Amino acid sequence: MKEILSIKNLRKHFPVKNAWGTDVALVKALDGVDLKIESGKTFGVVGESGCGKTTLMRTLLRLVEPTSGSVILSDEIIGNEVSSNKLEELTGDELRSFRKQIGVVFQDPMGALNPRMLIKDIVSEPLAIHGRTENVRARVIELLENVGLGEEHLYRYPHEFSGGQRQRIVIARALALDPKILVLDEPTSALDVSVQAQILNLLNDLQKKYDLTYIFISHDLSVIEYMCDRLAVMYLGRVVEEADTEELFSNPQHPYTKALLSATPSFDKKKEKIMILGDVPSPINYLDESKAKLATEITEQEKLEINAIEGKGIDYIVRSSLNEVVPLVQISDGHFARVK
Amino acid sequence: MLEIENLKTNFNTYDGVVKALDGVNLKIEDGEIFGLVGETGSGKSVTCYSALKLLPKTGEVVDGTVKLNGEDITNASDERLREIRGGEIGIIFQDPLSALNPVMTVNEQIGEILVLHQNKEIQGLASEKEIPIYKSEKWKASPGVEFTIMAFCISFISLFVMLGQWGFSLPFLLVILLMFFRDYVQKDNPVSALDLMVIEALSRVKLPNPEQIAHSYPHELSGGMQQRVMIAMALAGKAKMLIADEPTTALDVTIQAQILQLIKDIQKEENMSVLLITHDLGVVAETCERVAVMYKGKIVEEASVDEIFTNPKNDYTKGLLNAIPKGSKERLKVPNLEEVRTS
Repeated sequence: MKEILSIKNLRKHFPVKNAWGTDVALVKALDGVDLKIESGKTFGVVGESGCGKTTLMRTLLRLVEPTSGSVILSDEIIGNEVSSNKLEELTGDELRSFRKQIGVVFQDPMGALNPRMLIKDIVSEPLAIHGRTENVRARVIELLENVGLGEEHLYRYPHEFSGGQRQRIVIARALALDPKILVLDEPTSALDVSVQAQILNLLNDLQKKYDLTYIFISHDLSVIEYMCDRLAVMYLGRVVEEADTEELFSNPQHPYTKALLSATPSFDKKKEKIMILGDVPSPINYLDESKAKLATEITEQEKLEINAIEGKGIDYIVRSSLNEVVPLVQISDGHFARVK
Repeated sequence: MLEIENLKTNFNTYDGVVKALDGVNLKIEDGEIFGLVGETGSGKSVTCYSALKLLPKTGEVVDGTVKLNGEDITNASDERLREIRGGEIGIIFQDPLSALNPVMTVNEQIGEILVLHQNKEIQGLASEKEIPIYKSEKWKASPGVEFTIMAFCISFISLFVMLGQWGFSLPFLLVILLMFFRDYVQKDNPVSALDLMVIEALSRVKLPNPEQIAHSYPHELSGGMQQRVMIAMALAGKAKMLIADEPTTALDVTIQAQILQLIKDIQKEENMSVLLITHDLGVVAETCERVAVMYKGKIVEEASVDEIFTNPKNDYTKGLLNAIPKGSKERLKVPNLEEVRTS
């Protein structure tokens, strides 16, 4: 196993201030995340909205500064001649050369493409920013052909393309600087299943061709299962379970993972259902202890739902019971979970 | 319950006529959950909007009949249609936050539907319990407006005092005093019949403290709660049929499971018919009894759920099912849409 980057105890706490500017609470978007990302493989991150997936992606790109912890980069990404292999210590040119190595594909392709720019300008923009001025046109055509588009698309605007084609353009742009890592933030959730299949096939082809490492963020477990080699399940800023995909799908340990797997709609009607009751708890941690207690109490809605569901033969988990901090333990080789 | 025959809808655009629906036949029985699946642009939503005459101005129904409980509503009057929408047929939309009015409280929004469709029941409840029908709201404005009024009054008072005519400032002084003692001047009305019915509607969708939620604005609620409020609104008019247009697409899977369970429970309790429009075949497999697959404005296949997933007949349905990743790492089969188009 060759690591391309590893994340050590990464924390990002956003302070919540009151009207006088004093901190009253912390939003723990990332609360001690440890991950090792293997080179040439696809690493998946799953979790529901507000669990910190996107903050993790942003800290990896250093778009937000982490509160503590570090991202350790391998030589493969930054080379040998840098002052430090820690992402948070990089500055200036070193940071720029690091950012060349990491491409991003966002969820909504129309939002990621400037509607007033031609496709050739969109795809060549990263080249211009990083000072590559030779053979730009040939390079852009090569990139477009890589993703199944061609020279005839150079002088068109984003609105002239369908959703799947737009996502292809975003992928072409992300690959413009020959990155080693591609961060894919829900790349197919805005697409239909048939188009999704095309994009997933394309991503697999590109990975083989360029030996890319993917960090794949999604909430669609069937896509995750198809794409990823290794998987981390996040819940409220913490990784609650991490394992190889097959292991995780066949032998989930953490109650949240179990519920997530059973909540995914499937064609198998007999599959056992575990419902999670209540809404996603607020990630706000009050510094005042009396308020902090609220987070772990069973809410009125959960009580109601328990009453509604009991006696119907449906297993359930009360969501606030998942808030407890349990240390990560090793279940088997390479399989970690926060279970007692 | 709802019968759609040979429905054809055209959209007139600058590039010519788009045939959004090309002869759709649907029959939804009493008390069943019927799924309508298809990809973007296949005409799922247009089917339900055409049936309820909710099309934009560019769209028109060219041909076909729509029957609700045997009554032909194809050429129904606007009054009758208004009775049907929200009365006999309730609708849930995809994104709850854009379907709810952001400047109205939940109370006002559900109350609106009750006043339109359940007026007799409200009056009955009011006379039975001897309480007023509506609550006369206390005079209330946003803090900004109150501050402005206060500032105006104070400046006028100081102006008149400076001019030596301080007698003129008395009415302004009165306004300020009234604003301070408003709570004592206006007494709280007892609960109204409308309030009780709103709270009842909210507790039907298993929302906790309905009293508190009734007084909150949509943005104060979480996504799942907003969708529950939408369902409460759709059911408030004692709907016999529920049209759910992608009800869970904007929600997380765990919340999606909750909302689908709620729709199933309510359907069973009230023995309603539900038309579930979705692009997610998994959701259909879990909730529906019968399902129709749409493609290019036509229904290409209609069958029971077990049948369609084990033994699909149409090429398009097969392609759609093959395109879903199913655990194995084999290369996904992309449906060849060109072939389907010609067949």
